[in-house]
Amino acid sequence: MTGLPVFVLEREFNAPRALVWRSWTEPDLLAKWYGPGVETVIHALDVRPGGQWLNEMKMGESSGYQKSVYTEVVPPERLIMLMSTTNADWELAPNPMMPDWPATLLTMVTFEETDGVTQMRLEWSPHEATPAEIACFAGAVENLGKGWGAGMELLAQMLVDLQA
Amino acid sequence: MNIIPATPSAPNLDAIFAALADPTRREILTRLAGGEATVNEIAAPFEMSQPAISKHLKVLERAGLVTRAIDQQRRPATLNAKPMRDAVDWLEAFRDFWLGSFEQLDGLLDELKHEEKDR
Repeated sequence: MTGLPVFVLEREFNAPRALVWRSWTEPDLLAKWYGPGVETVIHALDVRPGGQWLNEMKMGESSGYQKSVYTEVVPPERLIMLMSTTNADWELAPNPMMPDWPATLLTMVTFEETDGVTQMRLEWSPHEATPAEIACFAGAVENLGKGWGAGMELLAQMLVDLQA
Repeated sequence: MNIIPATPSAPNLDAIFAALADPTRREILTRLAGGEATVNEIAAPFEMSQPAISKHLKVLERAGLVTRAIDQQRRPATLNAKPMRDAVDWLEAFRDFWLGSFEQLDGLLDELKHEEKDR
């Protein structure tokens, strides 16, 4: 990698890798798990290099839209995609709430199986991002990954107390 | 990802994290969490000139973390906790979105395994 900040989440699933792979690549299954507490509508899912995943998340009256373009597909081991927030026409649109959040995140998902248990690892890093976007994401990763550090923990606790 | 409920103004995360990156500024925030203070009062525990402290305060002000009274000569600084809470909430929401999805995936995989067994 190029020294860009990377955010990592790992999770173990008590299921064989082939099933976990299906859950990412079959629209009916993907719609069932992706997006907690929202209705997920998958408008396209073409899992091959250059193919797109067009995803709508319905939250009451409003919807959030995401477009992912696959850059690497190695069944059942690895998926790499460029995930972006878009408008309803699937055009890239910065998040109005977080203008400095990277418009596109390079997302790598890997699956490893040991004795019927699958270890899934997700990595996000900013893609073709502005310095402000990289700084924003780096700050996010630092604070989520390492915690707030001693001084920040104290401060964060005080902020909680202040609002209690 | 639109996973945060709308709030009146978008926090400038870039400015917030830049402001928080400095240990002196974090200490200033810690001090202000205890109540409003003037530049003199803030500078007292530091081996730093008042202009240097004022500079740090300006950075915190621009990030929206600190507000300063404009109608008094003392211009005491006050901690504004909201932008930082917004930033922390945003970061946690991204992670929680995925952890929540993983929970649902866990349940779905269980169902799929049983279906395969029943076949």
